[in-house]
Amino acid sequence: MELKLNEFARCLQMPVTTIERWIRQGRIPVKKVGDTCVFSDTALKKWARTHNLSFCFPGEKQEEKPDPKMETLSEAIDRGGIYYDIAGDTVEQIIDSAVSAMQQVGSGSARQVLYDSLVAREQMMSTGIGNGVAVPHPRTPLNSSGIADQMAACFLEKPVDFKAVDKKPVHVLFVLVATTARQHLHLLSRLSFCLRDASFLALLDQKPEPETLKNKMAEFDQQLDNGQ
Amino acid sequence: MDDRLLLIAIGALVGVCSGLAAVALNTGLHFMAGALSGLRAHWWLFVLPGIGAMLSSLFLEKVVREGAGHGVPEVVYSVSRHGGLMRLRSAFSRLISSCLTIGSGGSAGPEAPVVMSGASIGSNVAQFFSLNERQRIALVGCGSAGALAAIFNAPIAGLVFTIEIIVGEWSARNIVPIAVASVAGAQVSRLLQGNQIAFTHLRFDVGITATLAAIGLAVVTALVSIALTRALRESHHVSAKFPLPFWVRAFLGGCVVGAIGLMLPEVLGEGYHSIRQMVEGSFTPGLGLVLLLVAAKIAATAFTLGWGGSGGIFAPCLVIGSFSGLMYHRLLEMLWPGLSLVNEGCFALLGMAGLVSGILQAPLTGIFLIVEITGGYETILPLILVSALSTTICHAWEPASFYFRDLVEKGQYLRPRTDAKVLADLSIAELVETDCKTVPRSMRLGEFIRVIQQSHRNYFPVVDPETGKFEGMIHLDDIRPYLFDPLLYETVFLEQIMEADVETVDIHDELSGVLDKMDAKGLFSMPVVSTDRFMGMISKATLLDKYRNELMVQTLH
Repeated sequence: MELKLNEFARCLQMPVTTIERWIRQGRIPVKKVGDTCVFSDTALKKWARTHNLSFCFPGEKQEEKPDPKMETLSEAIDRGGIYYDIAGDTVEQIIDSAVSAMQQVGSGSARQVLYDSLVAREQMMSTGIGNGVAVPHPRTPLNSSGIADQMAACFLEKPVDFKAVDKKPVHVLFVLVATTARQHLHLLSRLSFCLRDASFLALLDQKPEPETLKNKMAEFDQQLDNGQ
Repeated sequence: MDDRLLLIAIGALVGVCSGLAAVALNTGLHFMAGALSGLRAHWWLFVLPGIGAMLSSLFLEKVVREGAGHGVPEVVYSVSRHGGLMRLRSAFSRLISSCLTIGSGGSAGPEAPVVMSGASIGSNVAQFFSLNERQRIALVGCGSAGALAAIFNAPIAGLVFTIEIIVGEWSARNIVPIAVASVAGAQVSRLLQGNQIAFTHLRFDVGITATLAAIGLAVVTALVSIALTRALRESHHVSAKFPLPFWVRAFLGGCVVGAIGLMLPEVLGEGYHSIRQMVEGSFTPGLGLVLLLVAAKIAATAFTLGWGGSGGIFAPCLVIGSFSGLMYHRLLEMLWPGLSLVNEGCFALLGMAGLVSGILQAPLTGIFLIVEITGGYETILPLILVSALSTTICHAWEPASFYFRDLVEKGQYLRPRTDAKVLADLSIAELVETDCKTVPRSMRLGEFIRVIQQSHRNYFPVVDPETGKFEGMIHLDDIRPYLFDPLLYETVFLEQIMEADVETVDIHDELSGVLDKMDAKGLFSMPVVSTDRFMGMISKATLLDKYRNELMVQTLH
């Protein structure tokens, strides 16, 4: 086989200078003709294995998975849905009605698991993050329950004391469900970006139509994507 | 053709060529000895070694322009540092210069020059076939083994010496071609000069007393070895202090040797004639004279080699060793007159092994060389004992052997499969990490926070955006307290928090020195800066990866 020296070095993931030296010193079963490396594919792969190196062609790129795609807010809310008039007087009741309202949760047992973990999280510490907003979420990713990544916006029938940090009653929930901790942090960070915006908070106060809310979130998504 | 077979075939060729070089030097020495033998009677001939040494040093310095030195360390250095690369002229330069020195009476040996010559032949043959460094080192070994095997008619000693001293690595890859070259070299010598054993002797009847007495002999030879090593070093230092041209120094040193030779002709030249007498048991002088001869030969060797003559240490070692053995034997006989010891020739032989092993700190070379050049396998038990003990005692006293001392002092003692070798091979250019984000000194802290968000690293080099000049470093650890204070975001510029006075590394620095610096200052990474330009970072974390890769590549075959 033949490869250019720099391609060859990339296949072994070593600096070109190191490869050049190894060839010169005769430490690697490769011959150099001009700046082309001549070698036997099988012999080299065997050599690489015994020397704790990996040799793979650019085509058959290593098993390394591409970064799992991170959800945008609009995608998450599309899946989670937007619900109005969620009834209840206590944290547990509200979460119960919210979980019952959510459509993309699946079987009854999954719903139960979600309810239990949301309540458990609230008991540990309230997720009311101030300005009448709460973001209930499970403590650990629910990756075995079969519930997909999503965010559900739930506007309450009437404001309820959620033991929020600023002691204000809560009137809207964003229920966050994620299959990985990374995904969870990603969605939470995007959401908190929105919640820092006064106009978004004002919009939430008015219980906007689903389309209006989605459009607003799409705007934020765009801002965040452009910022990166 | 398979690489290994090819190497063996070329190795045999190199062995033949270096064998021829050895025979040429031997013939040259015989010719010189014959031509000058008629003049020996004149008193003024003490200047003869002086003239020889002077011509030899002039030839080395002016004609072929190679530094003095006896050859073996140069070969070891070339093997460990330049993959065995040697100049073609080295193939004959030492042959001629040592022929002048030794032929005129200087106290030195033809072995180191012939080893260098053989090694250079091997290296140049490898370059001719454009082989890689590993193969070239094997061929340098082939040349050295073939030459030594030919000059002593001792194939095993050639092989063992090469592996122990020159190559420093016992692996089948090297041993096979070197063994073949050894055979080829010895065969060439036997064809052209006859199969003669250098020092034949009567059969020795070695008993337990001789084996026990060998322990005492080892102490004596070790002490004499140390004396010789020190004398060589001192004479070199002393001669360097004289504000004279090098060739005048060589002339003076040679004249001193000649003067000693007027009274004690045994010290002149390679001295094999006296060894022959001693091993045969026909060397008559008494204890006092032998003691004097040991001292005189050490002095003559020191004046020859330390003052600028050219030649090896091997033959003087053999001569001094056999004098020491004889001296020890006479001493024992004097102290215990009734002791039924084996004849004195056997002790001369053991003394040679002790001195060679002590000076070279290579016990196997000592054992095999003496067995082969004397054909005396029956002495093997005390021989092993003397060699091993002498090496051990010398090593305790002088940790670096005569051949390696200069290399150790220069930090160039790089044996295969050692930490020093791995570090020497890795260059900073191979280790530098270039994925650092550079920042300008006029950046505000608030903007810098955004840079930190998008970076994977803790170090940020500050670089002038216009000239590209490196100005300093920012390390996250140092600025952590300010990162969470939004008040500072718009008021602090990076030039206020950067470290301007940082330790940097040049891209051409030696890695071992860089690591010493890191250890001394407790650093984990350092910026690499060449001609004021930031090239990247070097860090211990990546170093471990690369070091391990390199170690595996160098040690697993």
